[in-house]
Amino acid sequence: MEKRVIRKETLAGIVGELAGKMRVCAPMKAEDEVLFRVLEAGEKPLIEFANAKNAPKNFLFPRTETLLKFTRTGKGMVFAGDQKDGGETLLFGVRPCDARSFTLLDMLFDQEKYRDPYYLDKREKATVVALGCVRPPYTTCFCTSVGGAPLSSEGVDILLTDLGEAYLAEFLTPKGEALREAFGGTPAGEAEEKQKETIATQAAEEIRSRIPAREIKPILDARFEDPFWNTLHQKCLACGTCTYLCPTCHCFDISDEVKRADGIRIRNWDSCMFPMFTKETLGHNPRPSQKERWRQRVMHKFRYYVDNFGAIACVGCGRCVMACPVNLDIRKVVADIAKL
Amino acid sequence: MQNPYIPVPVEVAKIITEVDTKDIKTFRFAFLRKEDEAAFEYLPGQFAELSIFGKGESPIGIASSPTQPGYLEFTVQKAGVVTTALHEMEVGTVMGVRGPLGNSWPIDYLAGKNIVIVGGGFAFTTLRSLINYMLDERNRSRFGKITVIYGARTPGLLIYKDELAEWAKRDDLALHVTVDKGDETWKGREGFVPTVCKEVAPSSENAVTVICGPPIMIRFTLPVFFELGFSKENIITSLEMRMKCGIGKCGRCNVGEKYVCKDGPVFSLAELDKLTKEY
Ligand SMILES: Cc1cc2nc3c(=O)[nH]c(=O)nc-3n(C[C@H](O)[C@H](O)[C@H](O)COP(=O)(O)OP(=O)(O)OC[C@H]3O[C@@H](n4cnc5c(N)ncnc54)[C@H](O)[C@@H]3O)c2cc1C
Ligand code: SF4
Ligand code: SF4
Ligand code: FES
Repeated sequence: MEKRVIRKETLAGIVGELAGKMRVCAPMKAEDEVLFRVLEAGEKPLIEFANAKNAPKNFLFPRTETLLKFTRTGKGMVFAGDQKDGGETLLFGVRPCDARSFTLLDMLFDQEKYRDPYYLDKREKATVVALGCVRPPYTTCFCTSVGGAPLSSEGVDILLTDLGEAYLAEFLTPKGEALREAFGGTPAGEAEEKQKETIATQAAEEIRSRIPAREIKPILDARFEDPFWNTLHQKCLACGTCTYLCPTCHCFDISDEVKRADGIRIRNWDSCMFPMFTKETLGHNPRPSQKERWRQRVMHKFRYYVDNFGAIACVGCGRCVMACPVNLDIRKVVADIAKL
Repeated sequence: MQNPYIPVPVEVAKIITEVDTKDIKTFRFAFLRKEDEAAFEYLPGQFAELSIFGKGESPIGIASSPTQPGYLEFTVQKAGVVTTALHEMEVGTVMGVRGPLGNSWPIDYLAGKNIVIVGGGFAFTTLRSLINYMLDERNRSRFGKITVIYGARTPGLLIYKDELAEWAKRDDLALHVTVDKGDETWKGREGFVPTVCKEVAPSSENAVTVICGPPIMIRFTLPVFFELGFSKENIITSLEMRMKCGIGKCGRCNVGEKYVCKDGPVFSLAELDKLTKEY
């Protein structure tokens, strides 16, 4: 694996230049927020920021995505081609927690039986450049409780670590290696590697928010029916913000749109927090109240995903904690379950 | 990479109105391309997404049997957008089918055993597929005694009437058709399915029961089978959950860690016991 040192002041320019050659998605200032978006050629991304409000999963699994097209004929509407995004993409400035979310989404979309061609096409063509969290950006960060770390390289092709004056760039995969030239820099030595290790340990220690995420699995196995679930959801507005911002949530709806003779079938993000999510046409709803929906959200992340894929479907980014309008905190929920 | 979201084109070849209320019809589809037909290898108990471009998709159990090549049949109740559009279709219309999806009735497990089929209302569709599969001359010897108990609210709501009449003539199948309430012309049995099951009292010896119907029928029928000595491993049913993708991605249809679309819809009671009770 190649490691190089990149001068700090050059980084944004390098990425801006790449934006003229390929699709580059990076964190950018948007009013008082930071959001991932596609850069114009030459546009420089943010380098110093906490994390983007939206998760970068949008570029692999878009909020709205066309699956296929159809057109009207004398015999009815017929299939007129599928639609894949194509195009090489650079995802720059991804935080290690969000990069890990890609590996969790891979487990679902890339199963032996049924591979999701839309996600996988984009995933294969995306190179992930992560900016390690040398100082964990929020007090709500809890990546270390769910299998991650501030300098984790899971799901990362190029990992950048801020060493103060310069970045250590680790080209971890062939996809990352392919961009080595573009990033330039000078070969890194042992000193930089040592420095990075110290930073990694320190950064992990700085994450104070710790939750018993793994420990609750057997409790969830045993306590599907528990009075605990009767009160948990009471404040919840069913707004869906938590699932919408979550980098690991993958539920979607499929619907058709027609304009004159042509139409598209699209998928849109959906949410288990919405009453309609499981409601059947004839009226029956297996999750009739917000109680069952909140239970589903917790169960899916901390029990079912572990059953099916051996991993917790939460990367500890804290977005749901920060954005919930009624301050429902998944960390507290997990901690409370551990006490059951 | 094969794209599991893309339906194959089929033509509506035949439409049969099954019931006197006219809201349940059987649709026969012919594949437009030979290669799609060859690729559509299915077993009784599986379902498919019926795809009407511009309206959407609905998961519907396959009512024909793989032993009847050349076409697929589905029996559909008019309910919402897609099923209503389907009910308005005419012979010759082209639409899509995506599948086969889901697991199937456990054919290998059923082989060598006596089979008791219990159906209620129009949830008889994939049971009909199974019956026709077992009755096929290439398969009949693989199964023991076949008992079928089928009920509907009224005679007019019984589906597959012609086929029921054919089966009634056979000596390798014991058919018990019942209605909750008969009319002037009805000469058959009257009574609820659970009661008829009790009267017929099929032996649980080397037997499996496959049961599908409205929840209330299932609720009252299960105790009868427990009483008859059927174990939970040998009572098999099919679940229904709202679906979209049909391939375990959209996250909609899970019961516990299982996705009904991909890991089901067929489960034994023993398997259901291990899952959360949320369906
Ligand atoms: C495995 C399986 C087999 C089925 N077999 C049959 C059958 O043989 N005959 C039959 O008439 N019906 C069957 N159903 C029920 C049928 O799928 C729904 O009645 C149908 O999807 C309603 O669609 P709609 O577009 O008309 O309703 P709308 O309310 O307009 O559409 C809602 C959409 O939500 C989904 N949806 C809504 N209700 C259900 C439901 N109960 N189950 C699954 N998805 C739902 C579908 O994607 C549907 O297109 C089956 C369901 C499942 C899960
Ligand atoms: S963000 Fe908060 S209020 Fe909104 S659905 Fe999630 S838990 Fe409920
Ligand atoms: S559940 Fe909350 S903290 Fe965990 S990954 Fe999703 S948004 Fe981040
Ligand atoms: S229907 Fe999408 S997961 Fe089952």
